[in-house]
Order: sequence, then structure tokens, then C-alpha cells
Amino acid sequence: MSASGSLRRLSQLHEDEAVVAWWQARTRWLAIHLDAERRRVLLSLAALVAAAIAVVKALPRGTTTPWLVAPVAFAIVVALLYACYRAAVRFATLPPAVRRRPQMALHAIFWCILAVVWLVPSSAVLVAVGTILPFILWRCGYLLKTGQRGKAAGTRFVDHLFYLHPTWGDANVPIGKGFDYLTRHEAHTPDAFARAQLAGIKLLVLALLWSGVQWLMAALVYGEARHPLTRALGDHVLHVPHLEELLERRGTPVPMLVAWGSLYVELFREVLKHAAHGHLTVGALRLFGFNVFRNTYKPLLAESIVEFWNRYYYYFKELLVDFFFFPTFVRRFKTAPRLRMIAATFAAAFVGNMYYHALNQDSLILHGDVDAAWRALRPRLLYCLLLAIGISVSMLREQRRRGGATVPRGGIARGLRIAGVWTFFAVIHIWSIGANASFTHRTRFFLMLLGLA
Amino acid sequence: MDRARRLEHLLAFLRTIQRPDRPLDGVGEDESLVASGLIDSLALLQIVAYLEETYGIDFSARGVEPEELRSMRSILDLIERDAR
Repeated sequence: MSASGSLRRLSQLHEDEAVVAWWQARTRWLAIHLDAERRRVLLSLAALVAAAIAVVKALPRGTTTPWLVAPVAFAIVVALLYACYRAAVRFATLPPAVRRRPQMALHAIFWCILAVVWLVPSSAVLVAVGTILPFILWRCGYLLKTGQRGKAAGTRFVDHLFYLHPTWGDANVPIGKGFDYLTRHEAHTPDAFARAQLAGIKLLVLALLWSGVQWLMAALVYGEARHPLTRALGDHVLHVPHLEELLERRGTPVPMLVAWGSLYVELFREVLKHAAHGHLTVGALRLFGFNVFRNTYKPLLAESIVEFWNRYYYYFKELLVDFFFFPTFVRRFKTAPRLRMIAATFAAAFVGNMYYHALNQDSLILHGDVDAAWRALRPRLLYCLLLAIGISVSMLREQRRRGGATVPRGGIARGLRIAGVWTFFAVIHIWSIGANASFTHRTRFFLMLLGLA
Repeated sequence: MDRARRLEHLLAFLRTIQRPDRPLDGVGEDESLVASGLIDSLALLQIVAYLEETYGIDFSARGVEPEELRSMRSILDLIERDAR
């Protein structure tokens, strides 16, 4: 067998029938005692523990009576989740305006709760609840979608709790989406459970591998002073500056080659970071029998912007598609197909993306400080705009391609397409990276890359 | 229109949006249209538009569930359930 064949076999070990049978034989007791129903109950109990820990962590510093404050805040969070569950189960009986726009209603309630938090900033209970709200908001959104489709009727709270405040992952993005998606990918037979677990183990190994590569990069590429390897390697490190560091130099000239190098290395590092984090979360989900898609799947091999976007951070893209793209697509510009698609893309990649990140701003969520949030988000405005334009153009090109337009084949043409995608995403990242640099400094850096500043 | 006629109509539509290098004939009624390589995820949007125009299905009220558009059978089921 060739080296590539062996590598492919190794990477598909979780699909190998002999390996699946071997794993199943060793974990039979687990599959018998931990069926799908029990796994959900177990995960729901873990969700309650996770919620309790999150509440304690969210308490403002200096809270003098956490033993009293934490249980009250915890009870409010669970009550909110339960209220959302009840709304989904009884969706057909909700007021017509809410049934028509359930997500709008959910977000309106969210902002009303935040308004109360802003009015009583001294309340540790409210601050803790306000901190946790963005984490559960999109998950509750998926629950309401389930209710809207009539699939929540007859389900129990425990069937939803495990993903409403999941133990896996720490992102506000619901990795694994919600009830519909998770249950569709849930293993119900010992064979499917074994396959899901093996696929999960594979992802956990990959997560470790990509974390290891990041650790090596910190020394070999960036030459970080505190890294234990950097000193040992002496002069054999590249000393590429972090993009964040270059932006924070605020206009200090940097050799063009160094700036471009930093830009591409940063893209590579971001992809590794997302892959490691996503694999950890999806790996954990698969271990519990939810054989869902990966969050990151070879984005650096994408040949178009829309393909990269689909592969880079799948569940964030899904969030934007589910809550912004489709709702716009099915309501607006039905008679103008191109405009319809562009409007839906802008609703997702521009409006949705900005809104999602606004909800991640503590200054806005906890203090209602719009100015601070605007200052932090201003550079992202251009990022989202360029992303929306890029995806729209890419989608239209893909459509034309499907319609029979020829695409140059061959290694060089493919390499050029991939390089183009890398360059696009590396460049727009200038306006999304979390650096202490203003919009103007970021734009000046971009002009410097082109030799214009 | 009965199910067989609807399938015929759907096949004719899918031929207009399929990827040029993938034959439609070998794809089973239950097979995933995206996974089989016949269409890409973008073409799902055109399927939505087709269902709106041909069968008057109002996705603004029920939302789009890509899983319901995954195969010819699931699309036909959706039509039977929601067509006006």
C-alpha cells in the first residue's frame, strides 16, 4: 500500500469495520448501560452543574454574599430556560405576533432583561444573569425554531436542557446547533454509538495535534520570549511578529515582506485555533453519541470564498444562515433572484455578524455602554462589509459555474484559487482581530501592505 | 398532481440546476442530493424558490429546514404536506 493510501486508511480508522467491532466489544457495557435516553439525562445533570459554575464565575468581583446570590441567579437562569421550553412546547398557543416572529420576540425579551440589568447595576444577581444571557440566547433561538416546526410537542425539559446550557464548549455559538440537528445525528444503536465515539476520539486526537502545532509555532515562527523552546532554539526561530503586535505599533513602518508574512501566518494560526477548539467540542459531542459535523474542515484547501466560509467555522456560519440568511431569503425580493440572494447574504454576513459580536461586548451587555461597544466594533464593520461582498460575489460565481461556466483545472490554477482565498481572508482579518488598534490604524496598515502608506 | 407526476416535474427542475459533471440518473430517491454531488448547498436556495413558485409553499411562515430538502423523497414529502 502506498504512503498516501496508508495515511488515508489511518485517518479513516474510525470507519474500519474491524476497528468498530473491536471498540464495540470493549465498550458493550457502556452502550448497554448508557443508552441514548440515559446519556441525555446525564448530560442534562451536567448542564445544571455547568450552569451553576457559570453563575458563580459571572458574579461581579467583590460579591460579599455569593452563597445567597448564586442560587438566586441560578434559579433565574433555569427559570428562563424553562420558560423558553414551555413556549416551544406550546408554540401553537402563543400570540400570533410571537408565532410569526418568534426570534424577534425572544430578542425583545432579551433586551428587556438587559434594560433591567442596566437600571439596577448594583444587583449582583442581575449582573450574573446578564453575563450568561448571550450564552443561552442563540440556543433558546434553536429551541423556538424546534417549536415553530411543531417538533417540541411531547418532548420533556430534559430533552432540551443538555444543549441549552451545554457542558461542552464555552462559545456563545451553539456548536451542535439545537434539538432538531442533535437528535437527527444521535446514535441509537450500539454500532452507531461505537462509530460516533471512534469519530470523536479521532477529533480529540486531532485537537491535541493542532494544539501541539500552535505550541510549536509560538516558538519556531513567533519566537515568543517566554516559550521554553525559544531559548533552546537560539537563532533558529523566524521571529515573525504577531499581527496584533504590528497593528498596535500604530503606524510604525514595518518591512512589507514581514507584514505580509505576519498576515498569512496569522490566518494559519486562526484556522488552527478554531480547528483545535471546535474538534474538542465536537469530539466531546461524538463521545456522547451525537455524530455531528466538524466545526472546521480543511478550510485552507477551499477554492472559493463561500467554500472557506462554510468550512472555517461551520456552526457560526449555520447560526447566521438559520437566523439571518433564510429568514431574509424567504421574505424579501422574491421576484429578483440575484437581489434576493445578495440581500440574504448581507443580512447574515453583515447585519447578523455585527449583531452577534455586539452581543459579545460586556460593555454593552452589562452597562449599556453603546459608545464603548461602538469603539470596539467599528473596525469589524468594514470586515463584515467586505465579507458580505466577498461571499455574495463568490456565490454568484459558483452559481454561474454550476450553470456550465468552465473553471480552469490543473494544479497551478487550483493553487492560485486557494492563494486568492487565503489572501482575501488574511487581509479582511486586519479589521476583525482583537487588537488595541483603531479603525484608522488598521486601515493604514492595510495601505502599507500595498505600499501606499 | 400525483406523486409520480411531481417526481417527474422535480427531476426536470433538478436537471436545470444540477452540476454539469454529475449525472442525475444514478441518484436514488432517498439519496442526499448534496452528498451525491448532484447539487451544492447553494442550489438548495433554488429548490426553495422552485417550491415557492410551483407549489405555493410559504417558507416565511414555517422556516427553511435544509434536511427537508436533502433528497427527492424528502422534497416530495414536503410538497405533499405543505403544498397549497
